[in-house]
Amino acid sequence: MNNTNMWKVGLIVLVIGFSILMLYPPDKKINLGLDLKGGMHLVLEVQTSKAIEIQTEQSIEQLRSLLKESSIKYEKIRREGTNKIELYGISLDDERKVKDILDDEYKDYEYVFAGNQITLTLIPNVEMRMRDLSIDQAIETIRNRVDEFGVSNAAIQKIGLGGGDKILVQLPGVDDPGRVKGLIKNTAMLEFRAVVSGPFATEEDAMKDQGGVLPDDMKIFKTNSRRMDRGYYILRTSTVITGKDLKNAKRSQDGYGAPAVSFTLNSQGATKIRRFSSANIGKRMAVVLDDRIETAPTIQDVLSYDNQITGNYTIEEVNDMALVLRSGALPAPLKYLQERTIGPSLGADSIRKGIYASVIGLILVMVFMLIFYKGAGVNSVVALIFNLIILMGVMAYFKATLTVPGIAGIILTIGMSVDANVLIFEKIKEDLRAGKAPRSAIDSGFKKAFVTIFDANLTTIIAAVFLFQFGTGPIQGFSVTLMIGIIASMFTAVFVSRVIFDIVYSGKKKIKKISI
Amino acid sequence: MRIFKTDPAFKFMNKRWIAFFVSGLIMAAGIFTFYTKGFNLGVDFTGGTMVEVSFRENISVGELRNSLQDIGLGKSEITRVGKDENKFFIKTIQSLEENDEKGNGEDISLHEEITLKMRGQFMGSDEKASLAAGKIDINNSSLKKITDFIASGGIKLEDAVESAGKIDSLKKTNSTGLISGIEEIEKLDLKKRVGTLLKEKTFFGNFTFLSVDFVGSQVGYKLRQQTTLATIWALLGMLVYIGFRFRFIFGIAAVVTLAHDIFIALSFILFFNIEFSLSVVAAILTIVGYSLNDTIVIFDRVRDNLKVMRRDGAEEILDKSINQTLSRTIVTSGTTLATVLSLFFLGGEVIHAFSFTLIVGIVTGTYSSIFQSCAWLKIWEKQFRGKKNK
Repeated sequence: MNNTNMWKVGLIVLVIGFSILMLYPPDKKINLGLDLKGGMHLVLEVQTSKAIEIQTEQSIEQLRSLLKESSIKYEKIRREGTNKIELYGISLDDERKVKDILDDEYKDYEYVFAGNQITLTLIPNVEMRMRDLSIDQAIETIRNRVDEFGVSNAAIQKIGLGGGDKILVQLPGVDDPGRVKGLIKNTAMLEFRAVVSGPFATEEDAMKDQGGVLPDDMKIFKTNSRRMDRGYYILRTSTVITGKDLKNAKRSQDGYGAPAVSFTLNSQGATKIRRFSSANIGKRMAVVLDDRIETAPTIQDVLSYDNQITGNYTIEEVNDMALVLRSGALPAPLKYLQERTIGPSLGADSIRKGIYASVIGLILVMVFMLIFYKGAGVNSVVALIFNLIILMGVMAYFKATLTVPGIAGIILTIGMSVDANVLIFEKIKEDLRAGKAPRSAIDSGFKKAFVTIFDANLTTIIAAVFLFQFGTGPIQGFSVTLMIGIIASMFTAVFVSRVIFDIVYSGKKKIKKISI
Repeated sequence: MRIFKTDPAFKFMNKRWIAFFVSGLIMAAGIFTFYTKGFNLGVDFTGGTMVEVSFRENISVGELRNSLQDIGLGKSEITRVGKDENKFFIKTIQSLEENDEKGNGEDISLHEEITLKMRGQFMGSDEKASLAAGKIDINNSSLKKITDFIASGGIKLEDAVESAGKIDSLKKTNSTGLISGIEEIEKLDLKKRVGTLLKEKTFFGNFTFLSVDFVGSQVGYKLRQQTTLATIWALLGMLVYIGFRFRFIFGIAAVVTLAHDIFIALSFILFFNIEFSLSVVAAILTIVGYSLNDTIVIFDRVRDNLKVMRRDGAEEILDKSINQTLSRTIVTSGTTLATVLSLFFLGGEVIHAFSFTLIVGIVTGTYSSIFQSCAWLKIWEKQFRGKKNK
């Protein structure tokens, strides 16, 4: 073995050694996908438009109170679309004052005066940022909830084009899919609002109570019929406290031992509720969760930090409600786009079959190559095994996840990666038949075949890249193994095989015959 | 070993019209099937619910359909997995119809309802009674649930973990994913107290859902768009690459050949009513890569031979190039086909459609690189020989 061969062999040993190191022990290093180990795979969409709408509503609420403070008269304020606020009936004298307020407090909006009407539009950049933020917040909330529910190794990430507008939640080995899905999706928007009047049997009755036209500081809400009698209440649009004022929530019991939710407010929330309750003793206050009234008790006493929500709850409902209140509200409702639940036995079955198919495929290819290329066949078998080791090692290094399509990719790689060897061997054979000396036939075989191998493999990689770019989960797993496998085959078939030839034939001065 | 005793010298170019005719015929039949029957689209693309369910006792597709009829899901597509196993794929079509009425709002709640109804329907009356009596269904409980259950029965946690683990791996070893009864558990050599607890407080359901798939209708639509785009972009990318490495006309011939392969593969998917899912799309794109690989090897030879065989006609050059690479084409196709066949026969139901498409694709890809790719070059002979060699 001469010096050049020494460093080449060194490099090969290094690559293989590194791959084995990455790979060992395989059951710890190879990440199994949900389709192999069982679990739940969910794709959710955050309805970001709703988040913008909520934001706009809040701005309107704020504007209303700011105008009141500066005693500016107006006809009405309303939301137009998701991101516009329209303010009507501002007198000319107040225009300056309104402008000042808008300049100071509404930097996120562009505004236009037209007669006595002002239109505020959320600045597009700000809107985009808000949408992104709402997705991040949703992810954070989902993570809190899943963690609290006790799912280990859950993966929650953004997916989709353009920074990701969807959320992928992967929960290995989940017990009760329905309950987890409910927990994740629960918007958990908690609000306490003052009751104006109610209950009414229908929405029309409620309207009649206000003389047919609802003032814009009031809104009609429906009751949650599972907790209290079906009906409608008129509530104030402004809230007493919201979920943001919550510090903690936990399961408890009411005076009769029935399940209830106890919650502690932060100091801000406590101040707000104390001020409100002391001024409204004897009146009613509604607890609104996700736009439905849970309960509407009469205020008996001044409220402060610790409070309790009672109603017709089961223990499980109380547990879940406390959990979602603790983990915070979602910034916007979620929609399930996709769900895939795989039982653990199916996964185990897939692994068994995948390994079986791979081994048989591998043996077939090896036998084929050995019969066909004899001595050189041994060479390609070594290259093939190295290829598989590198493929698995690289996958382990990048913490790639092995899925069912991924196994298919590996099996296909076994078949396709010998192609580089075949191209080289055929070229050598051709040159030998043309009367070339064995050593120069090897030389030219490798050299000429390389161009073909490069072109042919690169096009396959192009296809794999597109698969990866456009594909979703399972397809990506397949394309990743295919890509790594092909790149590894360039190394093993072109480089490793060459070194093996060189070593085998380096001792002899003159080679008479090659076993090929 | 050599495939051919002497250098092969088949006259492939002579046969090009036969090849065009055969391919044309298959594609025509494919188009006919498309208009008469259409693709068997999977939930990936249509949206909807698909479950894979395994039963302990023998049940026929007809019986299953009758049972589904009772809950208004009689129109579902039911496919038996394997030959003599009691596993079925059930794809509900109803979900979509109802969804149209509701708009594409809350299709997940419909999905929930469907799976719940199915569970209720498949459960026998004695099982419902057991469940009502507060017993646990071992066959439909996960490892964690079983562990918690045993632990809550006053058994040491480590014993509970061990027993539940044994039960879980028993489920995984059974190909049905089900445990047939307490007798099987008794063989596991569990602690006596655990055994008694299981005997008293659990039962073994007659079915389990191996997998549940739900895809929202919007997603299905978007996926259809995305995959079409991916295929077109992949083809364009290759056209550009080959145009850059070879003469532009080679790129055109290669892409025409690839389009041919895609259409043939789609035709066979139609003929055999293979479910068209995302994995089939992945298979088709793989075929594109594979077939191109084959074509390029031949084109590479054509490029070389064009320099050497200046006097010869296009037909001779093309025939010679195909013949020179023929044994390589056969060997590589052979090894690839061998692996894909083992995937098809041993890889399990999950990737059946995928491996079927690959088999068709590899055969087609091999055939087309021999009989189609060069034939197209021959048609555009003037362009491919370049101006100098008129």
